[in-house]
Amino acid sequence: MSYSREEVKAITDKILNMAKADAVEVDFQGGERSATRYANSSITANLIEHDQQVNITVYYGQKSASTVTHQFDDASLKTAIDEAQILAKRKPDNPETMPLVKPPQNYLPVDAVIDRTANFGPAERAAMVKKSLDICEKKGVVGAGYIPKLHWTTATANSEGLFSYFRYAEASFILTCRTPDGTGSGWAGQTGLKDVNLIDPTSITERAAEKALKSQKPRAIEPGDYTVILESRPAARFLSLLLGSMDARSAEEGRSFMSGAERGQTKIGQKLFGDNVTIKSVMNHPTLRQTPIGEDGLAAQDVTWIEKGVVKNLYYSRYWAQKTGKAPTATQPGLSLVMDGGTTSVEEMIKTTKRGLLVSFFWYMRPVEAMSILYTGMTRDGLFLIENGEITAPVQNFRWNETPVVGLNNISALGPPEPMHTGEAYDQPGTAMIPPMRIEDFTMTSVSPAV
Amino acid sequence: MAQNRREFLKAAGAAGAAWSLPDLWLAPVSAQSPRGRSGPWRSWGTDALKQAKGLGCSYADIRFGRKRSQALNVRNGQLTSAGGFSFGGFGATPGGGISDTFGFGVRVVHSGVWGFASSPIVTADEIRRVVQQATDIAKASAMAKRFDVKLAPVPAYDEFYETPHERDPFEVPLEEKLTSLTEATAEIQKNKQVLFATAQVSFSHDWKFLVTSEGSFIEQSLYYCSCGTSATARTKGQVKTRIYTPGASTAGYEFLVKADLKGHAERVAAEAVEHSMAAPVSAGLKDLILKPSHLALTIHEIIAHPTELDRIVGYEANYAGTSFVKLSDLKTLKYGSPLLNVYADRTHVGACGTVGFDDDGVKSQRWPIIQDGMLVGLQTNRETAHYMGETESRGCTFANHWRNYPFLRMPNIQLQAGTPGSPTLDQMIADVKDGVLVDGSGSFSIDQQRYNGQFGGNAFWEIKNGKVTRMVTDFTYNAITTDFWMNLDAVGPPESWEHHGMDGDAKGQPVQSNYPSHGSSPCLIRKVMVGAAFS
Repeated sequence: MSYSREEVKAITDKILNMAKADAVEVDFQGGERSATRYANSSITANLIEHDQQVNITVYYGQKSASTVTHQFDDASLKTAIDEAQILAKRKPDNPETMPLVKPPQNYLPVDAVIDRTANFGPAERAAMVKKSLDICEKKGVVGAGYIPKLHWTTATANSEGLFSYFRYAEASFILTCRTPDGTGSGWAGQTGLKDVNLIDPTSITERAAEKALKSQKPRAIEPGDYTVILESRPAARFLSLLLGSMDARSAEEGRSFMSGAERGQTKIGQKLFGDNVTIKSVMNHPTLRQTPIGEDGLAAQDVTWIEKGVVKNLYYSRYWAQKTGKAPTATQPGLSLVMDGGTTSVEEMIKTTKRGLLVSFFWYMRPVEAMSILYTGMTRDGLFLIENGEITAPVQNFRWNETPVVGLNNISALGPPEPMHTGEAYDQPGTAMIPPMRIEDFTMTSVSPAV
Repeated sequence: MAQNRREFLKAAGAAGAAWSLPDLWLAPVSAQSPRGRSGPWRSWGTDALKQAKGLGCSYADIRFGRKRSQALNVRNGQLTSAGGFSFGGFGATPGGGISDTFGFGVRVVHSGVWGFASSPIVTADEIRRVVQQATDIAKASAMAKRFDVKLAPVPAYDEFYETPHERDPFEVPLEEKLTSLTEATAEIQKNKQVLFATAQVSFSHDWKFLVTSEGSFIEQSLYYCSCGTSATARTKGQVKTRIYTPGASTAGYEFLVKADLKGHAERVAAEAVEHSMAAPVSAGLKDLILKPSHLALTIHEIIAHPTELDRIVGYEANYAGTSFVKLSDLKTLKYGSPLLNVYADRTHVGACGTVGFDDDGVKSQRWPIIQDGMLVGLQTNRETAHYMGETESRGCTFANHWRNYPFLRMPNIQLQAGTPGSPTLDQMIADVKDGVLVDGSGSFSIDQQRYNGQFGGNAFWEIKNGKVTRMVTDFTYNAITTDFWMNLDAVGPPESWEHHGMDGDAKGQPVQSNYPSHGSSPCLIRKVMVGAAFS
């Protein structure tokens, strides 16, 4: 199911014409979410979800209200508009109400749809599953995987005449292989790919199966501070811990790590991380495909968040920017994220590590203390001990307690960035360019026999 | 030069670091909630299943659904569109607007494999297209089949179930809802050391009409409500937020009224300030007294999830994980001390996971999971029951939305109260030399087999020599699941039992949310490792 610019504009125009208010904004989204899921070496779910919705916001001065409907017939739209109008009139003034964004906005062109990805269907996904399962069978492992596809359209229109439209398609292949006796587990995957042809089920399956086989019967070693080599997936998850602290409002209100010494101050301009840490949002990146449309329809721009360890920008929402006399950032910190990498491959990192751990996956990361961005999490699906430049043994998983404030000061090697999802699940946009990284003195606090 | 984490954390801490008219416009909209007996759902469902049968499907169902939700978040007296502190708010967008979604999903088994498709366009033509699409998906999937889907038998039902409720939240005036929240934040803000006060409430009404090829026509009308408040205080750079969370419930507007947000405001504010000034708890083995508000999440993570049968047999290996529990552990695994009794229950009035029927059309029921410390039961659905040799499903299938495919989700998992006369909270405190009293949920993390958990909470009080002495901070504890429950030394009496509902619980791919409740009395757990996260 696909929504063209013209189709969407017809829907948003109709709503804008029907609504009677000082100002009206319509956010559209719709499309197809499909997925094939398999476990125990057989498909357990194969689905196509079609959905569509408009979020209609009406304004009367500083009063506003939104309603959401998934039905686009005239009667349903009228009901939703009527509800929004009645609700808005009955709400108190909101001093944080911002005027609508006015056109023109210069959206950077983002090439985000390749037809073969948009048309990637259940039969093709099943063929990938079969190819993967055949390899699993030969290797003697059990495969559990997920092949999601998202072909989605978003649009924002308002009564000032603004209309923005963005359509994208992406696919992923994520796989966990386990040994039949349950003593070994390995993960491999590719996420958020614009071109489905870049998915290589053979290579992914071989890597996951190899990890499962090599991780069998891990032994427990003592918790403590370790040199860790994070492959791109755990590196992406670890980096994501920082993103929530990049909000200017929470910093200036004194409730975040980025808060300055006094209320109203931030740590912008301070060197908080290592020289090798540069993190940006890059619009229209050749590999990434995220939206060039920012808050309320503002045109998203490239932003440098951290440059050589120095905080360069925090995210200013439209309201907070107006209140503090700054320019709105438009681009949220998790959007089209690119971390500068290096030239050291994971293999070279292993060779130059005296004693450390190779980490395949981080799991269940949750905050422990907000002001220091202290998080806890687990390793999973392949943890290996490195001694004198070689992997010498699989080891039992660790619980860790660490903060990216420390971790991003202790990076001793970086590899070439690769696309990897930063979120716990893979269902929303969030793929970033992330390098594998070696971090010194990473704190492992307890052992788990879980495989 | 490498930075030291312990020095950093130490330094970070030291640095200091109306109207009263009813919403008449809503009443007719709410009344439009389709009723199966008068709408086309029955005949459309029958036609869809006839079509699926003609296409060669061995099983088919169609589930029509409508979900209305509303969330209001107030921050320092101001209605805001920012999110609250709860898990999900039933998917509603904060700000007081209404989200209304309507559609259907079709699930079939063809060639021994599932196929599922859904659409928001509810017309006879679209239903025909989606039935064909779901069937095509199943047929395509068969190329990678290793085994056939096996479904436990289920009787046919023709029934209607509705959540017992006193007042439809969508018929309550907006002003009344807002007032209950703004009064709470105003009361919290009377404490001048509080930086931010928030209050929130979420409502949801889920209507479902399920037609299955087993012969069932099941209509359900489910009401949900969750609410709470928070106070945030900062003292010398230490920022702490105290929350009051009555939790979530299958109930109407009356749940918000009974929660009495304003009545708890002064205490919440004072405890936020006290927490912001509290000293870190000392690390080491301590006795813990865990209140039901805290235990809900612990029960959820280390009893409810590991006893989901789909996890045990590997369905979640790529995402939520498997389980340390093996099928062979049934009736042999000592999960905890003899005081540990746990049951699953989809019938408890008011609990969040309570329904009339699951999304397979299986009637709600209650059954034991752990008896006298021994594992005796698991959570099953029609698809998984055969793995443990059972011929009937326990009714644990749930889909979050008409758009989503149904699969095994946990019901309410409840820790049974102690017998009458069991130690009260005060008696437990008197019986502890060196311990911590824990209230509310906070940081929580658990490995993928639910063995090694680290939990925080929302407020902590030191217990020394049988007395609560002061509030402490920087508290976490580590639990190796079976060791932890083996150290269960007291469970409070029936009158101290309370359930806490959750308005979000992620599982599955694509990820879906679920709403379970977990009830308990206060529990005393001996010798638990405290403080590893900060040491």
